[in-house]
Amino acid sequence: MKEEKIELIKDGKRLDGRGFEDLRPIKIEVGVLKRADGSCYFELGNNKALAAVYGPREKHPRHLQDAKTAVVTYRYNMAPFSVDDRKRPGPDRRSVEVSKVSREALDPVILKEYYPKTAIDVYVELLQSDAGTRTAGINAASIALAAAGIPMRDLVSSVAVGKIDGEVVLDLNAVEDNHGEADMPVAMVARTDAITMLQMDGRFTKDEFERGLKLATKACHEIYELQRTALIEKYSESVGKGEE
Amino acid sequence: MEKEKGIVVPGDFLGTSEEFTPGEGVYDEKGNICASLIGGVSISDKRVIEVQPKVETPPTLKEGDVVVCRIEDLRDTVAIVSIACLKGHEEREIAASTQGVIHISNVRNGYVNDLQREFGYLDLVKAKVIDVAALRLSTEGKDLGVIKAICAKCKSNLKRKGNTLACESCKRVEVRNISEDYGKGLL
Repeated sequence: MKEEKIELIKDGKRLDGRGFEDLRPIKIEVGVLKRADGSCYFELGNNKALAAVYGPREKHPRHLQDAKTAVVTYRYNMAPFSVDDRKRPGPDRRSVEVSKVSREALDPVILKEYYPKTAIDVYVELLQSDAGTRTAGINAASIALAAAGIPMRDLVSSVAVGKIDGEVVLDLNAVEDNHGEADMPVAMVARTDAITMLQMDGRFTKDEFERGLKLATKACHEIYELQRTALIEKYSESVGKGEE
Repeated sequence: MEKEKGIVVPGDFLGTSEEFTPGEGVYDEKGNICASLIGGVSISDKRVIEVQPKVETPPTLKEGDVVVCRIEDLRDTVAIVSIACLKGHEEREIAASTQGVIHISNVRNGYVNDLQREFGYLDLVKAKVIDVAALRLSTEGKDLGVIKAICAKCKSNLKRKGNTLACESCKRVEVRNISEDYGKGLL
């Protein structure tokens, strides 16, 4: 697999000039889609994710309804132009998996039992991708759910940690992801540090894993503050509910 | 009502269950009351703590709500309808089942002999919710009733002519339980 060794760390800095524990710049916009019940645009460095939430609305077909709670569906989809080589459109093995874990990352914070027999549909489109898209998608979806007025226990924040050139670093970009040794996306409820998603690709030693998780926890707290500020800024301007 | 703090987001800690009674927009987890919606916090005189939402929340049906629905099936004594939207929340889908019924006894104030003379298949009807659990609706009232109907023969839109509806293309005349808002496009 590996062609030639790329030096990912030079003079204690990463290729894009970040330190080991630095996040990529984040930009959040709430309520970008008019027809969605809640929406959010989320940028994490070169990742651009757009999340739209619809519902709760009557679930069809009826046999998929749950008499006690709402059913959450989540679609993670990469645009064909989101990567260097054209991505063949449509669901594939990877996007089905990402959809599943992302849904399960958000599911525990939604107070689903308020809306039995309904569906809450979350659609996440990746317009541009640079490693860590599932974390960007979860961050976006979490904000979109809150903006849709769906009752939630908390917001979910997500970030990836990885290992490049033997060092545990935060938030890999595509080059680091492709040539690094490990990648571990984490999603958590920042306030309680409850983990709702944890995946790992590659190898960490136990010690590295613990360091990585600590790093991710710290970064999730940072992201949570940004998510919170974005929501408060959006909704303190519009007094009263309704048209924005 | 006493206002406090600025805007809260889901998960913000508001107080404990010893201090407050949880109201709308909050949840109680192990004695801690936290916000579940984005909005401002209000505490009533009886120490009920609530979040007044700043976001549009999913619409649910209450008794007395006015809804717009479509006739899906006409039986001898009931009309089965599917509810499209709730008045005041036209932009958003209803967060519950949307199949309702209008019983012949709830169609109008007087005696109704034949339901076929009150509604037609695929009519749009403005109705009031009288029972949330079974989703029973009523069209008693001047503003309630059919607001749009199509000709049974040629399917073109019917125009109101006094107390009847006339088809402009095939001259057919039909009778309905007409709302005073028929054909106005108003809800």
